[in-house]
Amino acid sequence: MKFNSWYISSFLISFIVLIPIITVFTSFFENTSNYYEILKNTFLIEYISNSFILLISVLFFTFLIGTGTAYLVSFYKFPGSEFFKWALILSFAVPPYIYAYSLTAFFENYGTAFTILKNLFGDGNYNKNIPKFDGMFGAILSISFSLYAYVYILVRASFLYQPQNLIDLGKNLGFSKFKSFYKIILPAARPAIVAGLSLVAMETLAEFGAVDFFSINTLTTGIYNSWITFDDLAFANRVSFFLLLFIFSLFILENLSRRKAKYHFNSKGGFKQKEKIRISGSEAYLAFIFCFLIFFISFLFPLSQMLYWTLKFPENLFDLPIINLILNTLYLVILSSFVLIIFSLISNYGNRVSSNKTLNVLSTLSISGYAIPGVICAIAFITFIAWFDNSIIKSLGFNSIKKIFIGSILGLVLVYFVRFYSLAFNGIKSGYEKINISVDESAYLLGYSKRKTFMNIHIPFLRNSLLFIVILISLEIIRELPITLILRPFNFETFATTAYISASEDLLEAAAVPSLFLILIASLFIIITSKYILRENNE
Amino acid sequence: MKKITILTLITSLFVSTISIADEVNVFNARHYKADGELYSKFTNMTGIKVNLINGKSGALEKRIIEEGADSSADLYITADAGRCGAMDAKGHLQSGLTSAAIKSAVPKSFRTSKWVGIAKRARIIYYSPERVTGAELSGMSYEGLADPKWKGRLVIRKSSNIYNKSLVASLIENNGKKATAEWAKGVVANMARDSKGNDRAQIMAVAAGEADIAVANTYYLALMLSGKKGAEQQEAAKKVKAFFPNQNDRGTHMNVSCAALVKGAPNKANAVKLVEFLLTPQSQEHFTNNTFEFPMIDGVSPSPLVVNNLGLDFKQDMKTKLASYGKNQAAALETMTAAGWK
Repeated sequence: MKFNSWYISSFLISFIVLIPIITVFTSFFENTSNYYEILKNTFLIEYISNSFILLISVLFFTFLIGTGTAYLVSFYKFPGSEFFKWALILSFAVPPYIYAYSLTAFFENYGTAFTILKNLFGDGNYNKNIPKFDGMFGAILSISFSLYAYVYILVRASFLYQPQNLIDLGKNLGFSKFKSFYKIILPAARPAIVAGLSLVAMETLAEFGAVDFFSINTLTTGIYNSWITFDDLAFANRVSFFLLLFIFSLFILENLSRRKAKYHFNSKGGFKQKEKIRISGSEAYLAFIFCFLIFFISFLFPLSQMLYWTLKFPENLFDLPIINLILNTLYLVILSSFVLIIFSLISNYGNRVSSNKTLNVLSTLSISGYAIPGVICAIAFITFIAWFDNSIIKSLGFNSIKKIFIGSILGLVLVYFVRFYSLAFNGIKSGYEKINISVDESAYLLGYSKRKTFMNIHIPFLRNSLLFIVILISLEIIRELPITLILRPFNFETFATTAYISASEDLLEAAAVPSLFLILIASLFIIITSKYILRENNE
Repeated sequence: MKKITILTLITSLFVSTISIADEVNVFNARHYKADGELYSKFTNMTGIKVNLINGKSGALEKRIIEEGADSSADLYITADAGRCGAMDAKGHLQSGLTSAAIKSAVPKSFRTSKWVGIAKRARIIYYSPERVTGAELSGMSYEGLADPKWKGRLVIRKSSNIYNKSLVASLIENNGKKATAEWAKGVVANMARDSKGNDRAQIMAVAAGEADIAVANTYYLALMLSGKKGAEQQEAAKKVKAFFPNQNDRGTHMNVSCAALVKGAPNKANAVKLVEFLLTPQSQEHFTNNTFEFPMIDGVSPSPLVVNNLGLDFKQDMKTKLASYGKNQAAALETMTAAGWK
């Protein structure tokens, strides 16, 4: 019974997820073509330094915004604080590349800002006085305002679980609000901050759309470009290797701090709802202004820019096959959620009934896919299939399998699987952790079979987690760009690819309509899930 | 019931790989709405279904390359001769675009047996009539962009851009690599700012007073003038004038949107039919009126917006073979990068 189907399925899952990593590492020692050697070295330095600048700046901004807003809404009551609590996560609905389109549309020469000034003050050359948010700074802003919610959500959760006496301590010591925050509250939330920031860091390094739009060469766009410009898969994989080194250290950091964060949360048995301090006067005003500004800049601004363009150029609305795009998106979402959830259930259940070390290691390995940028997943997948087809399938005399995997829904779903498996796996794992193992034992005593225990007891218990996971996966797939772009079949578009393609052809106003729909659909999903993300008591 | 649903889901995974008989598969890097309308017309006329995969040219090329002989692509349609040339150099195209209809429609320097131009564009100089005098521009050429008199006055997009690569490739073809490397240094020294933004952004930088001259393709100004980009950009476009360089020697640098026949194309005959269709006067008119490109064939005139604002009676460079854009592309990028062109 030990070496049973659990092993086989866990091995299978880990193997699929590890394909990109194995492909990248085996190509590292391959010779790259010498032709551009000097050029490539210049580029490599540029890629690394740009990635570094981007990373540090985004971490700085997301830390500031994320912890700032989390602190205000968790400790204080002020006008709108209940609203901001969930409204601040709406920024998740705006992927960095759509934020980048909005920034450009608004601030470019003769852009929306110019129109507003002209309507207010009449004709004039305002272009020189309108700040330009493009290039590196534009990319930093786009990513920061889209991703700060990671920090916000995790830090807010950790603030909520901070014991009351810790906060009272500051008061007793006569600390000012700022000093309490700085000396007591912030250090206590450190694991959550690190966890949030490492998620931000991984996403920043993996970011493709916005960075590509502003033509910044980072390691990730560098991989894509070297693959394309230099025709050099080996060099692309070598750049990937550097990127993965970066990412794995973050991944390890994140896992470590998550473990610590957990320890913090659970150590204090009973949880008591903290009393929020009501603030008034100028303090309340400032708190409101800060939260509103963040909400406005991160969500209302891109939303209204896209809406404005949709209304200004309505012909694009009628050209967009909306029903078709919604169906395509649903199709991908349903298929991927189905596959992801089935395999995560199998693997989690396997871990539970066998509680075996090797299985545990395998499942830890298989959640690493989330740390690998979509571009790399997609490229590595194509490389792997091409290699597998040429050296194994064809030598056995079979027909090529490339068409089955490249440019097919199957291939697309497989790579989504690699990328998002950790989302599904971790979600179900945390659901399972709430079902005490004694529940299983009681069920067996009552004569339930393993299958019946699973179907009649586990599944109903997990229902909420499953719903939450489906929505998270949907959100990711709706916004996903590079994998879909590279691997999708003929005549198959999503809102994300439609927006990206229009934008890359300098048809930003045509990109506005799909972007708007993407934001609206994603917001809907976020509003549905907000009660899970923001729950304030231990369910 | 449940089992059937699951079965349907699983089979649907493979459905996309089954192909229908009368079709042509186009890897399309031109995403103008007008193109889609043309493809529908083609289907209505011939009954041949046009399957599209839209994408950026680089990604499409890579997919064709990785799929190799098994690629489902018939035609690769993209917006620069340099790209078609590069695909040819890598051996991913095949001969076949040699029908009488194609040969009679397209001038020799704008086609090979493997790819043909389907619409023309020129890469020209835009200037501010307020800040640039006629004397300064007199006899202006691409070579003249390196002249120190333009110091701090020029904007042009990044070196990674294919239009720039093709322009510089044509300079290498005509003047040699060494002279072009010197030229690139001069251009970089003249830039008003680090390269950023697309062609339209360069034109708007001149309109807004950030620079005095810009290099950009012809159809962008027409697009702005058409009002399709809004009233503000229409106004901005009126502050800029077009200038066609190299009128005293080889003529203005021309480029094309091209259609290339992919090696191993499963529907080769249909692909040729589609190319022939794109070269009919009817399709050419559709291009000129919607994308503001120049027609590839004789007997069709460009959009009035192009004719009235850019002029038509300029000398086009018909001598430099477009195939050299692909051939010199790598050298062009190297030259620009070495000069510090961002």
